[in-house]
Amino acid sequence: MKIICYVFLAVFAVGCTVKAVGDPNRPITINANIVVDIRGLKKTAVGIEDMVSGGAQP
Amino acid sequence: MTLRQRSAIFVLLLLFQTGVAFAVQNYDLKEMTPAVQQAIEGRKARFAQLQQLKRAGSIGEGNKGYVEALGTLSGAEQSVAAENQDRQAIYQAIADQNQLGAEGLAEIQRIFAEVQRGKAQAGDLIQLPMGEWIKKG
Repeated sequence: MKIICYVFLAVFAVGCTVKAVGDPNRPITINANIVVDIRGLKKTAVGIEDMVSGGAQP
Repeated sequence: MTLRQRSAIFVLLLLFQTGVAFAVQNYDLKEMTPAVQQAIEGRKARFAQLQQLKRAGSIGEGNKGYVEALGTLSGAEQSVAAENQDRQAIYQAIADQNQLGAEGLAEIQRIFAEVQRGKAQAGDLIQLPMGEWIKKG
C-alpha cells in the first residue's frame, strides 16, 4: 500500500506539470489522443474498393 | 493486493494523468446515402477507363487516397477530377458518419491510399507514404 501511495504521489507530481509556451492571444486547442481502430477503417476501405473494382485482384 | 492489481492501478493512474483516452470502435460507412451510392456507381462506371490510363502511365494512385494525372494524355484530367470528386464524397461521408473530423478524414484518406496501393496492378504508378512515385513491382 505504501508503494502505491508513493507511485501515486510521483505520478501526480510529474503528470500535473503542464507548460504552455506561445502567444496568449492565440488559444491552443489540446485534443485527447484518440486511438482510431485502423482495422475497422481498413476493412471498410477494402470493401468499398472491392465494390468499385468488381473484386478485381492485382 | 497482488502485484498484478498494483500494476493495473498504476497503469490506470498513468493514463489518467497523461490524459490519454482510448476510443476503440469500428469506423464504418454506417449509412449508404444517395450521395455515397452515386459516388460508388460513378467510380464503378469509370473503373475500366482509369485502369487504361494507369496502364498508359497517365495517372497514378497518390498517397492521400486520390488519383493524380502524371502524363500528358488528353482526357485524363477530366476523369481524374470526376474520380476524385467521388472519392472525396465517400471519405467525407465516412468521416461525418463517425464524427471523425478533419484529422479523421486525413486518416481515412491515408488508409484508402494504402488499400489502393495494395490493389494496384504491377507496373502502375503509385505514390509511397513519403511522397516518392514508383512503378509497382
